[in-house]
Amino acid sequence: MIDELRKQLDEGSVTSEELFEEAVKSAKEVQDTYNPFVTILDKYKIRRRANSILTGIPYTLKDNISTSNILTTASSNILKDYVPVYDATVYQKLKKAGAVLVGKTTLDELAMGGTGTTAATGVVRNPWNSNCLIGGSSAGSAVSVALGIVPFSIGSDTGDSIRKPASFGGVVGFKPTYGRISRYGLFAFASSLDHVGVFTRSVRDAAIVTDIIKGYDAKDMTSLKDEDKSYTDELEKPLTHKKLCYIKEICDINQYNDPKVIETLRKFHDFIDKCRNQGFTVDEVSFDKVLLDAIYPTYMIISCAEATSNNANLTGIQFGPRGDGNSIDEVMFSARTKGFSELIKRRFVLGSYILQKENQEKLFLNACRCRRLIVDRVNELFKDYDGIILPASGGGAPSFDSSSEQVTDQQLILENHMAIGNFGGFPSITIPFTFVKDMPVGINITGRVMEDDILLHIANEVEKITGLRGLKVGDRHV
Amino acid sequence: MIEKEKLKEYAHKLMFDMKDEEYETLQKEFDVILKQMEAIDKIPNLHEVSPMTFPFLLDDRSLREDEVGDYLTVGEVLSNAKHQVNDQVKVPKVVEE
Amino acid sequence: MYKAVIGLEVHCELDTKSKNFSSSPNLFTETPNIHVSAVDLGLPGILPYPNKEAVRKALKTAMALHCENPDEVIFDRKNYFYPDLPKGYQITQVTKPMGRNGYLDIMVGGEKKRVLIHQLHLEEDTASLDHFSNYSLIDYNRSGIPLIEIVTEPCISSADEAVTFLEDLRDVFLFLGVSEARSNYGQMRCDVNISVMKDTDSEFGTKVEMKNINAFTSVRAAIEYEIKRQTGLLESGGKVIQETRRIAEDGKTYSMREKVDAIDYKYFIEPNIPPVKLSDEFYEELKGEIPELKLERYEKYIEKYQLSEYDAGVLSAKRDISDYFEEVLSYGSDVELTVNFVTSAILSTIKKLEIEIKDLFITPKMLSGVIDKVKNKEISLDHGKKILYQAIEKLVDPNEIIKKQNLHQINDEDELRKIIEKVLDENDIQVRQYIDEGNTYVYNFFIGKVMQKTNRQANPNMSLDIIKEELERRKNNESK
Repeated sequence: MIDELRKQLDEGSVTSEELFEEAVKSAKEVQDTYNPFVTILDKYKIRRRANSILTGIPYTLKDNISTSNILTTASSNILKDYVPVYDATVYQKLKKAGAVLVGKTTLDELAMGGTGTTAATGVVRNPWNSNCLIGGSSAGSAVSVALGIVPFSIGSDTGDSIRKPASFGGVVGFKPTYGRISRYGLFAFASSLDHVGVFTRSVRDAAIVTDIIKGYDAKDMTSLKDEDKSYTDELEKPLTHKKLCYIKEICDINQYNDPKVIETLRKFHDFIDKCRNQGFTVDEVSFDKVLLDAIYPTYMIISCAEATSNNANLTGIQFGPRGDGNSIDEVMFSARTKGFSELIKRRFVLGSYILQKENQEKLFLNACRCRRLIVDRVNELFKDYDGIILPASGGGAPSFDSSSEQVTDQQLILENHMAIGNFGGFPSITIPFTFVKDMPVGINITGRVMEDDILLHIANEVEKITGLRGLKVGDRHV
Repeated sequence: MIEKEKLKEYAHKLMFDMKDEEYETLQKEFDVILKQMEAIDKIPNLHEVSPMTFPFLLDDRSLREDEVGDYLTVGEVLSNAKHQVNDQVKVPKVVEE
Repeated sequence: MYKAVIGLEVHCELDTKSKNFSSSPNLFTETPNIHVSAVDLGLPGILPYPNKEAVRKALKTAMALHCENPDEVIFDRKNYFYPDLPKGYQITQVTKPMGRNGYLDIMVGGEKKRVLIHQLHLEEDTASLDHFSNYSLIDYNRSGIPLIEIVTEPCISSADEAVTFLEDLRDVFLFLGVSEARSNYGQMRCDVNISVMKDTDSEFGTKVEMKNINAFTSVRAAIEYEIKRQTGLLESGGKVIQETRRIAEDGKTYSMREKVDAIDYKYFIEPNIPPVKLSDEFYEELKGEIPELKLERYEKYIEKYQLSEYDAGVLSAKRDISDYFEEVLSYGSDVELTVNFVTSAILSTIKKLEIEIKDLFITPKMLSGVIDKVKNKEISLDHGKKILYQAIEKLVDPNEIIKKQNLHQINDEDELRKIIEKVLDENDIQVRQYIDEGNTYVYNFFIGKVMQKTNRQANPNMSLDIIKEELERRKNNESK
């Protein structure tokens, strides 16, 4: 983890170049098995005179973050040869801090998926069990941290694209408040839901990295004003916010049949009891079932609508492979027909349909209304509670052959509730808390907007209760 | 169920085509999501709620001061374009609309 | 009888330092792709950040056109595929445009006509396409330049009205300083929607659209041709088809394509631009920056200053000249003299030198000093103008020239009287004309003579007084 590496670097027992070479070597070793990388860098590059806690520390970036002179594909064929000419703000900040980029990680094509199986360069596998998926869309980022190739990775989260693979990979996944980290240079999926966030192996590391990459950006109007606060330092203070709640309609064991879900929830409730024993107040609260049912369609409608428009720049004209044809329309048509996979096209058609004049009111605007109802209800809970704590998934990572199994409506809620964090821009973190059938499962905590420090602080205390801080693939679990 | 032809038309407006069986999958997906949206439509007083576009609103947002900042060189502008002539991106002749 | 129903959509690029949503320069150039940012190119990952100055200028224009203004800034996306639109959508305004329901009063054929403005919104310009025999080239310099679109109601009924409206609208842009609105650079462009209907009809006829006309003369030609064409069609029992036409160099319009289904632009609010509240204080500030416009000034000059329509027209035509004129007046200068000086000496000089009035050496303050001296009869009108020309040539303050001349001026009454007596003695014919016929025109003659004799150094006002006295004295002596 970062503190240890920092110490070793400062003591001189290891050089940052050695750390880089080591990371590149293990990246190459695991690439065939798990496919976490689109690009593994071959040259060690560090900013001279950098002096931060991250100086010399290797890391990876999701391949939908713009890096000048380094191929950035978003794991889509339509960008398979795209070499950006500008740096994303998050990349620029890490460069300035002296962090050392090791590779660009595989994602579900254009970040539009939650399985890690739809990248143009193939499926990403779960390092805890290669027959299982890792989840997505930040699939490769989760793998690179879970395997300990790097201590942290930068991902993006539109529905739960950091927090779900973090759960399946047994790592910490954190997306702060909307706007805390600039989105400039993050290839847009759904702008009003997109967040940049981090994967680490401890809450403290998440705080350390976030401290470096957060901040107002004159290139992102939605970025938040700077605050005079170090999240890392806040962790050392005594925690005064210890009132949590969980949602009854999601966590009630009696409504499920799937033994995996039942085991997960039993462990969740046991864990809640442990939290209570450690001084947390955790109440059960009720959330309108209709609104919970609405989370998934609301997410689909809004994200697909925005995605259709956001990806209309992918025509092969200014960049990307040029299509064939004799007219301009034929050329664009050919580039897009060849460049997008089936899933992406289906989502675009859905998004476009939703935005059609005749459907906009009933579909798009109703979803936007529903979004407000859900966010309002969550904010109501935040009047009484500092955080909402829920299982990040109803079990460990599914195996590849089971992922197409029919899930019940109930499970649909259990598997998709984390989009709430995107609807309201709430800071939200997943940390590993248990194992179910030998696969890690995460717990998710969501906090009030702007109060990233408090959420990290809560998560840091909860992490102590899990005993899984620093978990890495291969570690025996308790 | 939405007709396949209709879906094809939508896809074409988005400048791509799909295989026949892909349209069939899409039809089924539409079915599911539209049913779910019907459920949403039944939420009482939904229409009185104002649609939410931004995760939250802040009062201290400001516009950008009108100053010239960094921009690209011609080389950077064209670096990813496959066809170019005289420092411009070349495309098949566009019939003005 | 048929009458035309015309609506205009006018696009005008705003004059700002940087583009509407990025910080690349907003400058006109012939060199392709040198003013382009990642944002203007629509590269993956870019975000728009709206330009405050563009918003201010769009709002000011909307206010000057008497529009209702929004309580906050919001933008929308207009989605369509076209090679000049790199993002695949244009950021524009539908939900809360900068202005709604305004008007501009124009003078056509001596009568005031009110052109109703449906909407004014702020958006971004597209890249420009250059067409060759079998390919086209894209230059992204223009991409993202702030653009306002002004949509009129279909309330215009002739080419005259349309062109006058466009000219006056351009004057509004110029008076406000929001754009140079040079149509030869494509900074101001116009779409024309036109139909004809019988006087007695209650419904509009079928509409024909003509897009992107730059020159006002082409707008006139296109409208006149279309009125004739459409009327002819209807009179001969034909039908007008809904279509887009273009104006060719021969002044005729030609069909481009029939209107198919209207494109669904799938508008939705731009999620990357959170709303920015516009406070009452902000609007007050903007209001303070809006100058009187041409027509207001024209009317003021006639009503308040009793100028002729001609002079009022000349002095209100351009903001810089009008401002100059008003500044001279602000120093308390005589109105009639100011009009005289500005419309003659000043305007002819800037025309001759081919300069802007702001670059003229003579400041309003200097001019006002000269005018005051003419008013006080220290110098004559003609002399005043001559001094102005000298001042412009030598780049010296005309008041300094006058001062210097005054130093050598003969102001001694006895000395002047001696000279004048001599002049009268030498010109008996003119003295007789005064005594016998009461002819006062001889004053000027004698002044001229005195000036000649003194090398223009005699104080003209004193001289005149003495000439009058001396002539009268001689007349009285004789009659005794």
